[in-house]
Amino acid sequence: MFNPFRPSTISGFPSGSVVLKTFVRGKRQSTQSASTKKVVNQLSALSASRKQPKLLNLCNEDLIKHRTIVNAWKMFKRREEQRRHNQLKKQYKSIYNAMEDLKQTSPKLFELANAKEEGKRFPLEMRVPTDFPPTQPWVYNYSPKKETK
Amino acid sequence: MSLNKVFIRQFSGSGAVLRAGYSTVQPVHHLVKVNKAALKPLYQGVLLPKDDIKSVSFKPTEISQDRVAEHYQNTLKSDLLLHNYEHGATTLKGNKKRSWGEDSPYKLYRNLKKPKGVSRPSKDVHPIRYDNVPEVESIVIQSYNKDALDESWLNISTRLQLAQITNVKPKQIYSKANILPWRVRQGKPCGGKVEITGRDMTQFISTLTELVLPRIRTFQGIKNTSGDSNGNITFGLDPEDVKGFPEIENFQELFPNLSGLQITFKTNAGTDERARTLLSSLGFPFYNP
Repeated sequence: MFNPFRPSTISGFPSGSVVLKTFVRGKRQSTQSASTKKVVNQLSALSASRKQPKLLNLCNEDLIKHRTIVNAWKMFKRREEQRRHNQLKKQYKSIYNAMEDLKQTSPKLFELANAKEEGKRFPLEMRVPTDFPPTQPWVYNYSPKKETK
Repeated sequence: MSLNKVFIRQFSGSGAVLRAGYSTVQPVHHLVKVNKAALKPLYQGVLLPKDDIKSVSFKPTEISQDRVAEHYQNTLKSDLLLHNYEHGATTLKGNKKRSWGEDSPYKLYRNLKKPKGVSRPSKDVHPIRYDNVPEVESIVIQSYNKDALDESWLNISTRLQLAQITNVKPKQIYSKANILPWRVRQGKPCGGKVEITGRDMTQFISTLTELVLPRIRTFQGIKNTSGDSNGNITFGLDPEDVKGFPEIENFQELFPNLSGLQITFKTNAGTDERARTLLSSLGFPFYNP
């Protein structure tokens, strides 16, 4: 890297002197072809150099504020996660209890309820909710297209 | 440690204790390498975790709502738990490596025998409970560019295309085999590969299901036979289909040489059938080839 004690790379000139380039009138022409430039641009878009934003230099007060907010957010997320986990656990237990009950009362229905549903798919009409849902969000009397085969 | 020191009866009580013995503890400290240069105060900033705001590589992650992840948590997870529930199900043991027997000391420490009938051991299939509901762990997107073997600059545009689509810098992949008629040479760069998780993954899923796949005329869905039998589903996109990504569609003159994608959904479902149901819940169609 940068070493002040290393002699200058340009031989014949004492270190510190300015090397003048030959002056060319007009706009400087690059020697690269258009396609080469394109590839060079692509490569520079891909590399991380000069794209790193500046390190945030917070004062102590701001740092404490930031950490407090982040800690609170993490705690919120953790509780939310715990709540969801408990919810699923309750659901699992109630499924288990219902099946045990069904096994006692009606073994025939139990067989049907416990049958594997291989190849079952969610309907394609089921969408991920958006901020602006359509005016008619769900078509209740929908029937899927019949396959022509 | 002086556990194996023989007690000798003598006048001095401390004589036996203070006599030099040998340590029975393995000298591990010779084997553990410590990079002392990394401990110097200059590098303290580098050692900070990445989510610390003082770290050099700090990047804010949760900057907006994650629709797909929320939909999965709020709606799909409980549905999938109910769908995959099987009363009285037990863990299905996979085909594991076998021991040679224990009747001889030579067999005891021999490398384990291959599993019966197959060359690779298979994994156990656990029943779905509330703590292992199937979910997509990550997506691996790989793009192989055959033409990059001849002209290496094409490799750059392939990786840039991947980076634009996924928001993650792709890794370089290199060809593994020497196949002369195809001009494949071992160690030649031939495309890129990314593994996306979290926010980038859900963004990619929603772009695929809402923008790209519906606009492919010939797309029927993911094949019902796809999968590696461990719950990882793969499908491919042609270079024509890749044009549908909004990051590429609007800058088509910048990407004259597109290459196809190979998309693998890594899930913790355990079996392919469960993984397919999971993917269908996220909006991917399936068809019988």
